[in-house]
Amino acid sequence: MLIDLDINGERHQLDVDPTRRLLSVLRDELSLTGTKLGCGEGACGACAVLLDGRPVNSCLLFVGAVAGRPIVTIEGLSAGGLSPLQQAFLAEDGLQCGFCTPGQIVSATALLEANPDPDRDEIRAAMSGNLCRCGAYPKIELAILRAAAEAAP
Amino acid sequence: MKQIRKGKVVYEGFEFEITAVFDEADERLPAWEADAELAIVGNPVPRIDGAKRVTGAARFTVDVQLPRMLHAAVLRSPVANGTVEGLDLEAARRAPGVRAVIGPDEAIGEGASPLTRTPEFVGEPIAVLAAETLPQARAALALLAPRIDALPFEVDLESGLRAQRFTSDPVESVRGEPNAYASGGDVRVELELATQFHIQSPLEPHAAVADWQQDELTVWISTQGVFGVRSELAQRFGLPAAGVRVIAEFIGGGFGSKVDAGTEGILAAELSRRARRPVSLIFTRHEELLAGGHRASTRQRIRLAARRDGTLVASEFDALIGMGARGGGLMPMVHAPAVSAYRSENAHAMRFPVKLNLRPVNAFRAPGFVEGTTGYEQAIDELAAALELDPLELRRRAHADRDQGADKPYSAKSLLACYERAAELSQWEQRDRLRDGAHEDGLLRGLGCATQLWFGSSQPCAATVSIGADGIVTVVTGAQDIGTGAFTIAQMVAAEELGLPLDRVRVVGGDTRPNVHGPTSGGSITTASITPAVRAAAASARRALLDLAGQSFEIAPEDLVLRDGRIRSADHALDADYTDLTRTFGNMAVTGEGARTLPSQDYSVQTWGCQIAQVAVDPGLGRVIVEHVWAVHDVGRIINPLTASSQAEGGILQGVGYALMEERVIDPTTGAPTNASLDDYKVPTMADTPAMTVEFINLPDPIASNTGAKGLGEPPIIPTAAAIANAFAHATGRRATALPLTPARVLEALA
Repeated sequence: MLIDLDINGERHQLDVDPTRRLLSVLRDELSLTGTKLGCGEGACGACAVLLDGRPVNSCLLFVGAVAGRPIVTIEGLSAGGLSPLQQAFLAEDGLQCGFCTPGQIVSATALLEANPDPDRDEIRAAMSGNLCRCGAYPKIELAILRAAAEAAP
Repeated sequence: MKQIRKGKVVYEGFEFEITAVFDEADERLPAWEADAELAIVGNPVPRIDGAKRVTGAARFTVDVQLPRMLHAAVLRSPVANGTVEGLDLEAARRAPGVRAVIGPDEAIGEGASPLTRTPEFVGEPIAVLAAETLPQARAALALLAPRIDALPFEVDLESGLRAQRFTSDPVESVRGEPNAYASGGDVRVELELATQFHIQSPLEPHAAVADWQQDELTVWISTQGVFGVRSELAQRFGLPAAGVRVIAEFIGGGFGSKVDAGTEGILAAELSRRARRPVSLIFTRHEELLAGGHRASTRQRIRLAARRDGTLVASEFDALIGMGARGGGLMPMVHAPAVSAYRSENAHAMRFPVKLNLRPVNAFRAPGFVEGTTGYEQAIDELAAALELDPLELRRRAHADRDQGADKPYSAKSLLACYERAAELSQWEQRDRLRDGAHEDGLLRGLGCATQLWFGSSQPCAATVSIGADGIVTVVTGAQDIGTGAFTIAQMVAAEELGLPLDRVRVVGGDTRPNVHGPTSGGSITTASITPAVRAAAASARRALLDLAGQSFEIAPEDLVLRDGRIRSADHALDADYTDLTRTFGNMAVTGEGARTLPSQDYSVQTWGCQIAQVAVDPGLGRVIVEHVWAVHDVGRIINPLTASSQAEGGILQGVGYALMEERVIDPTTGAPTNASLDDYKVPTMADTPAMTVEFINLPDPIASNTGAKGLGEPPIIPTAAAIANAFAHATGRRATALPLTPARVLEALA
């Protein structure tokens, strides 16, 4: 079945089974491998992408259900060079192995979009769906605070 | 001149004979002592490959996509013990898209096949196949239709002991008099504790992509040791080492579980050999949690005898260890803290490895030491209570000034300073006031401490440093960066030694092709292994560069220095940018090579630390909240404080998971792990993260390495659970007899 996808501002028409997961289409059909498969069961957040501007686990979404809706992946967030949030992750070392990092950046981007000045509790609530087995959480929190502070007028 | 030397190295507590090939000049390089003037080393530096990691450009093994690549799926045992009576390999071979099928009775190179007809644990591989797509591979698995006769199994430690199911004879460790506990000292305490199976669960699962072309095998693999995997695969498949290339550019965590080729590496290679196509084999999360590995479970009994002044007379440690099936796996050194952490006149330990129908035990960050410290440090607190001594004061009094087991002096030890600083940061002297104070939230609060002990090991290791005509420096290390920041410290050390800005230095690693040997990232050895090698290679390149500068500018090379990118003469007559020289190289580069030699054979090289935890306990709900962990560690010089504190925080957080929530749960009626999913095997989230304060003593240990640095991977996880358990006891006056401190166990302890 032909499905129209709007990914990172580009239109793609793909002939795929509509019950395939969005993650699998991103990675295997479009080679957008920045979005990771961590668990495939919606428990880790490594596959987070923005759908209509909100973070979602792409491992759970049927590709047929997102036809035509704007999807932004980590590659889309990085298209114009490092975003201030990505620079803050680098400066604060909000990462270790980096496997969960694209998902963390996606979730944090959505958080700052919705709430440009989050406090620590709001960060913890928004980010607790993104697991980091290396335990970079303290510095992810600092990175988000830094990005928020730098964006403040 | 090159030399070959043989000697001993310690790796995770096991001693090995090893050979080092190095140049005398490498050994002559004076260590960076405490007063060395360093421009880069010691400053916080963001990761060299950070931009790739934050943009999704970092290519992990699971991201490798090759033309004509097949996808593998593994048939795993649904039973904890059994015999496969029927398996329809032919049906799978005929299935759409299937290009190779391997059953349990087929040879896979030399050595035992990872596939078995007589599985001994749920999740053990029985067969494997590769197909054009992953859905085709999974569909074909169903056609294998295994008929399995289930056999009796054992997954319980106590009944395994009663049945005398040991993977080897019990191991006894003795120092001094073995029966001192019964007769010695004025005060005796005894503590029993159970610890659980603890799963590494790296976020990138075990994964390999193999591409066998004619006589050459290329393997991308999520591994902690590319050279180890190369040796293993070369040996199994009868290839020269040079015929195998192993690549691990980015590794999504390992924590000890990825130190060999694994079933994924061996099976992907064999499938590729048979299908003559590249093959990708990636564990699902369920497979990762079933068969990726785990820390052993234990039942410990600790008995301590001391004199009134706190002098330890006897330290007794007995442990039942829950090993896995087959040979059991890695026998953890759970007794080591009891034998080595403190000065005691006598020490005695017995380890009983019990064979269970579970995956063989493999390494998980400080194997043995986490388990052993968790029990032993609680017993030390019980002894302090019996002696009416402050727990930190008892630890100070029991301080070992010399390694009693090895009968060697320590190369460096600032443990007392760790105690002092951790106490200061945590306001330790106020701890009873914290406990006894009224808290509006109705929670009970307390502080607890624990000591960390781990090896400061290193291994022989090589590096090259080349400087091109563009002035760009390329460091080649055989090590891989598993997320620790190893490549970043290699960059820093090379830039420091060369006298060049950081941004001129690139690092290549995680690939065996350049044949520059690096160690497996395990045992906390990487920093002390690669930094001296990189430094020696950089020094060699610098000497070569200054020799050329001397010829070029007609000045004796010994009168020249390279600093801040400038070549200067002693009399200041020459002050030139180093690229004025390098741009005359044409297409050539100046390359230096260097190696780290054997570690000191005369000293005991160790790392130390103290962690203090503050907990709040909800006596109604049985909930334990870790509010703050203060960690002070002595691991020699800190090369990069930015990544070092990250690593420490990560270790502490895994310790919090071990203390409070992580536990493999096994159904006693089937022998199957029941929580092999991330919904059911709970790992800490950001909301579970305590406040953390991390400091380092940061004094170089010049005996450990010429950079004065030692490794940090394992130390921070070691004392965390013990400190939390001691804080729980301080807050509540009770001790839980098993980890993790789940609400059920807490309520039981408080009842």
